[in-house]
Amino acid sequence: MTTAEIAAAPTAAPEGPWRLTLRRIRRDRWTLVAACVFAFVVLCSFAGGPIASAIVGHTSTDQFPYAANENFKPVGPWTRVSTASYIRSDDYGDILPPRKGTPKTLLVLGADSVLGRDELLRLLDGGRTSLEIGFFAVFVALVVGVPLGMISGYFGGFTDSVISRLTETIMSFPLILFLLFASVRLSNTLTPIGYGSVVPEGVAAVSLLIGLFTCFYPARLVRAEMLTLKNAEYVEAARMVGASTPRIIRRHLLPHLVPGLLVWGAIAFAAAILLEVGISFVGVGVRAPTPTWGSMLSTTWGTVFSPRTYEAASYTPWQTVLPTVAILLTVVALNQLSDGIRRALEPWSSS
Amino acid sequence: MTRLLTFFLRRLAAAVFTLILMITLTFVLFWAIPSDPANFVYPAAQHLTDYQLAHANHLLGTDRPLLEQYASYLWHLLHFDFGTQWAGSQVTGEQQLVRLPIGPQLASAVPQTLSIIIGGALLVVLLAVPLGAISGRRIGSVSDRTISLVALVGICTHPMVVGLTLNTALGQQLRWFPPGGYCPLIPTSGAYCSGPVDWASHLLLPWITFALLFLALYTRMIRASVAETMHADYIRTARAKGVGETRLMTRHVLPNAGLRILTMVGMEIGTAIGVCIFIESAYGFQGLGRLSVTALFGTVGLDLPLILAVVFVITLIVVIGNLLVDTLYAVIDPRAGQMLRERESKSLAGVI
Repeated sequence: MTTAEIAAAPTAAPEGPWRLTLRRIRRDRWTLVAACVFAFVVLCSFAGGPIASAIVGHTSTDQFPYAANENFKPVGPWTRVSTASYIRSDDYGDILPPRKGTPKTLLVLGADSVLGRDELLRLLDGGRTSLEIGFFAVFVALVVGVPLGMISGYFGGFTDSVISRLTETIMSFPLILFLLFASVRLSNTLTPIGYGSVVPEGVAAVSLLIGLFTCFYPARLVRAEMLTLKNAEYVEAARMVGASTPRIIRRHLLPHLVPGLLVWGAIAFAAAILLEVGISFVGVGVRAPTPTWGSMLSTTWGTVFSPRTYEAASYTPWQTVLPTVAILLTVVALNQLSDGIRRALEPWSSS
Repeated sequence: MTRLLTFFLRRLAAAVFTLILMITLTFVLFWAIPSDPANFVYPAAQHLTDYQLAHANHLLGTDRPLLEQYASYLWHLLHFDFGTQWAGSQVTGEQQLVRLPIGPQLASAVPQTLSIIIGGALLVVLLAVPLGAISGRRIGSVSDRTISLVALVGICTHPMVVGLTLNTALGQQLRWFPPGGYCPLIPTSGAYCSGPVDWASHLLLPWITFALLFLALYTRMIRASVAETMHADYIRTARAKGVGETRLMTRHVLPNAGLRILTMVGMEIGTAIGVCIFIESAYGFQGLGRLSVTALFGTVGLDLPLILAVVFVITLIVVIGNLLVDTLYAVIDPRAGQMLRERESKSLAGVI
């Protein structure tokens, strides 16, 4: 995402700052690797899900009860299970094998829980949901936070001190509690927003909440930058030749904010994905059948009200390892990307 | 000394202001939201008659004007009286309602959360300082990359997963640690377990869980600080004098990171309390996090008095913690009076 944006940015001179940045990034091996990994995750999540679903012939929300044994332990990777929609049992309550002739289907990475849904498909589709939440959360945070920071920094004085005090108060309080409270009270109003069927139900609500409660970070960033920039000589010069305030902000101040916001955006993207896991663990996130990486973990480990203890007889390690590895890949890649962009933009800073 | 005092007083004024702002904000926010306190009085009732509704509201005091409720709430808070919660109310007579006081619950919850946070923070610093020093000495080396990656793994595995895994494996199956629960630090006779040893053994796993989450943030910061300092002139001078590498690190390089650690600790108190929701749940503690979750997600509905009390206590902890950090800061670095604290933008762990 970020690299592409840099590449697409208009360049004034042959060796403009963006081109220079891009060149530095190209030389940075680890950042390139991170960009590839992130692109891979995005590709898998958005294109891989439907493709894999078409190949194996079922979707991520289809349930195959025969994919779990009598201890509720789901099957491991590469197992063919019956597609029967209910479990047959005899008069004594013992489980009978599926009726002869029911077709079988392949679970590439095994089943996700006692419900017997395809782990691979849930991983891919869950990735899509998680990435959507991350993206929209950062988007909302920027849309709200940047103007807030600009007003605060550019106009200063009373407006600034009111906004800053309020921001500091809210930031000092545990974010997750705000999120939980808001998601309890507002979920009924917000959850049905789905932009038609572009994003699953609940994604918009969760990302809106995360975005609104993290918009203070870009606001602070922008404010600090504004404070130093608004008295710069070239801004003074622009004002002297008669440029209006909106024009000064748009043409002379905004471009300076892009690097800092890019670096923040990559980290915030990762943080939003991690926050979503936390929200899932309280049981108020995206609605049930839609998979996310967080809800995959919470189907295994329970919620904060009823945490489950791990029993080797009824769990497979795959249920935990796979979503965790997916989160890890994404977060490490985004972290490295953020680092790489910062290094490329400010090569003089040491780390 | 006078300067330090004025600095402290200014910070104190700001802290009190923050506290009042937070109380008012939550009060307005929470009372603006429709809630049915009457349901708490008649939890078993399917449908409440108008008389029951009015009666319950009268007994709970929620039929009074909002301003009056706010004033009485503030007045009671000034006396450290948190009032009574809605949940668990029982009608005993026509005009009588037995209600559970919030104070004792908070009194047992606060030490649990504080134990996790304070011990966990110490463990984080103990681990992060050497790791950050190793990373920062050679940016980009194999050891640097390994440490960064391991620290990131710590962030990406949710404390709930780490906590439940450690608790099940080490606590309940291998029995190396007690299987969850909290033990008070102060020895009391007749209690199931108490005293410093029991306390620490019950808290060791929560501390590790806590430390794993915050390790990356602190390691990263110390790494940056060390890397910056290594290029300073006085380090070259110290090397030229023949100062050994260990002494160079401990006496010349690492003290520079101290102030930044302090700043970060002050900023992360709120986040740490938030994370405690998951750690407390994984290890079966009954701390502030659990209390707020029960208040928010109770079966009957929102327990507003309990939520207000929990929010107040959390804000109080955050404010007092920040006041302590600010004062320490001013004592260590005399320039702090003039200089606003450099607040670095929070990174990854800060927002979970």
